[in-house]
Amino acid sequence: MSRAADATTGDPEPAGPTPPAPRAPAPAPPLPTPSGESSAIESSRTAADSGWDQVERRARASQSFWTAVVGVPAIFSVLRLGVEAGGELQTTLLLVANVGPINLLAGFLTTAARLLSTALVAVFALGAVLAASVRGPRRRPLFARWVEATPAWFVAASFLTALVTWPLLYLPLLVPAIVAAFQLRPGRLHELLVVRALLIGAVLAGYLWLLVPALRDAWHQNEYLGIVLLVVPPLLGLFVAGPLPGVVVRPLASLTQVAVLGVLVWAALPVISTPVLPLTVTTVGDDSGVTEEVRGHVVTTDDVNMVILQERGGVRYVPVEQVRAQVLCPSEEELPRYQLRVRDFHVEDSLLEGLGRRVRPVHRIDAACR
Amino acid sequence: MRVHTSGSRLRSVATTVAVAMTLLLAAAAGCDSQQEPELPSVQEKLRESHIWGQPTLRIGVATNEPLLGEVRNGVRVGFDVEIARYIAASLGYEGDQRIEFVSVSTEDRIPALQGGLVDFLVSSFSITEERKKLVSFAGPYFVTTQEVMVPTRHKNAIRTIEDLRDPNYKICTSGGSTTEAELEKHQIRTQVVKNVGNCVAGIRAGRYDAVSSDETILAGFLARYPTEFEIVDMPFGTSELLGVGVPIGDPALRDLVAYFLDKSYQQGRNGQASPWQTAYNRTLGPWLHAEKRQPQPLDVPKLVDFDDKAPRR
Repeated sequence: MSRAADATTGDPEPAGPTPPAPRAPAPAPPLPTPSGESSAIESSRTAADSGWDQVERRARASQSFWTAVVGVPAIFSVLRLGVEAGGELQTTLLLVANVGPINLLAGFLTTAARLLSTALVAVFALGAVLAASVRGPRRRPLFARWVEATPAWFVAASFLTALVTWPLLYLPLLVPAIVAAFQLRPGRLHELLVVRALLIGAVLAGYLWLLVPALRDAWHQNEYLGIVLLVVPPLLGLFVAGPLPGVVVRPLASLTQVAVLGVLVWAALPVISTPVLPLTVTTVGDDSGVTEEVRGHVVTTDDVNMVILQERGGVRYVPVEQVRAQVLCPSEEELPRYQLRVRDFHVEDSLLEGLGRRVRPVHRIDAACR
Repeated sequence: MRVHTSGSRLRSVATTVAVAMTLLLAAAAGCDSQQEPELPSVQEKLRESHIWGQPTLRIGVATNEPLLGEVRNGVRVGFDVEIARYIAASLGYEGDQRIEFVSVSTEDRIPALQGGLVDFLVSSFSITEERKKLVSFAGPYFVTTQEVMVPTRHKNAIRTIEDLRDPNYKICTSGGSTTEAELEKHQIRTQVVKNVGNCVAGIRAGRYDAVSSDETILAGFLARYPTEFEIVDMPFGTSELLGVGVPIGDPALRDLVAYFLDKSYQQGRNGQASPWQTAYNRTLGPWLHAEKRQPQPLDVPKLVDFDDKAPRR
């Protein structure tokens, strides 16, 4: 049984005007025909065709989904190398020769986990809402089919990745997304309305208590969007589950498909241009005591040379014996936009980053990086 | 039945609104995450300042002020020098090979800044309204008072401001200092020399009878000649706010210096070992009467830096 169907059948409230559509291949209702026996044969054949059709559709949806999940990161990784090399063919080849596929994929996941999990969460949340809204054997929207074709563990893993990689400021948006993806209605909390209201009230009160100092700071700093992003999404979570009116479903399905694709392309540009290799400043000195600082990414080091891809472009081969010092530097994209903290966690840090800063709290910027 | 239908219709409208708002908020969050920081960053200020791209930093310091700025065994030492090193390192100039210390006498401080001889100045430079018209100040990084130091031979004779007015005593001070103006205000005739060091040498040679200057400068000479001098606490009533002098045409550099002084101040307030406290403990600390803390720097700009996300507690 599907998750969406699980959620709705477990709901003691009336499920609304649209009963959940079955995911397993279901026989189509027999068509009314005037003749007796021949109509029975006809109807059973139609049912078999329709079932086979559904199975095939599901298989195709599953295939297209997994192709996207595996293919997009692979293509991105290769594209990134080209961008990193500054568009130079020889430099790209140098990088290809020295950056292993595992490093490349790990580097890509480190920088793109946020984008990937966002895309997956959006697809699963929208897909589940659409699946709950479309009834009958009509052709279901693409996202709905994807949701049905995806194993539950993958959906859960996507949400977990989002939980640990999204910035705290945007993390509340995960509440309506989870509620939508798993179609969790408030009615499932308790049968009695009063108990339900009390439970929800208590959870929201606890959430607000956690946020009060941050909200006060945001108010003083006129960061109203920050306040809205922190407070509103959990409230939306109360209403977001459930079927949409039929009029809305089709436009929403097409619109969100285009939107998700658009966002992927738009957000992919910064991800593609994020460096694969860490930024360093290498102090190079010759025998006369004159030193020079080379800012760039170290591609590889062997017994003779250190190969540095310079920040402003071009590859530099520095003899190893001339390397005096080397420091790791932050890049300007890491500068924070907000001066807000939730219980001393910076709002632009993800849970992982915030925890990391607690393990290694002092982060001194080396003078050479300036 | 009708109630049920209208209830579920309401429910589906609520769902539509909630889904729409969630999508809207997600779009807003997406746009928001791509924005540049509104506040200027330290890097931007650095690029605006005149020191951007310079291989070394020229810092004006005193040479003959024990505990504050002096040369010992060929190495610059002192509280002002340590503060100068901290600011330089924060600006990207770490290590003495990247700093060019320029010796500046008390009266040459403003011309050195105006003439571009130094990039900034850390040399017991008191912040005054008059000077603010000529140079910019970042700080204060120290609050001191004006005191008088007398040789032990006069320690019982010179005890009050009245005693200083006695024409028999020759009171020495450095030219172009705030002390000179303050003594004039109290109708005390002074012998003006280039540096406080000249006054101390003069007293030891018997040419002068007392020297007046900042408590910090006098404490340095007391540390050098502990048996020959004594500091007399006199109620001049003015406090001297020592600041870092920056050329008036470089507000970006002033902002950066103020920002890094404030960073040290915030570290000290949070109970961490601040660069200021380390410099103080190593130099002035043991020689001053009362314990001092870093004063809060004024007009500190809000800047964004890489370590802004680090936990504060």
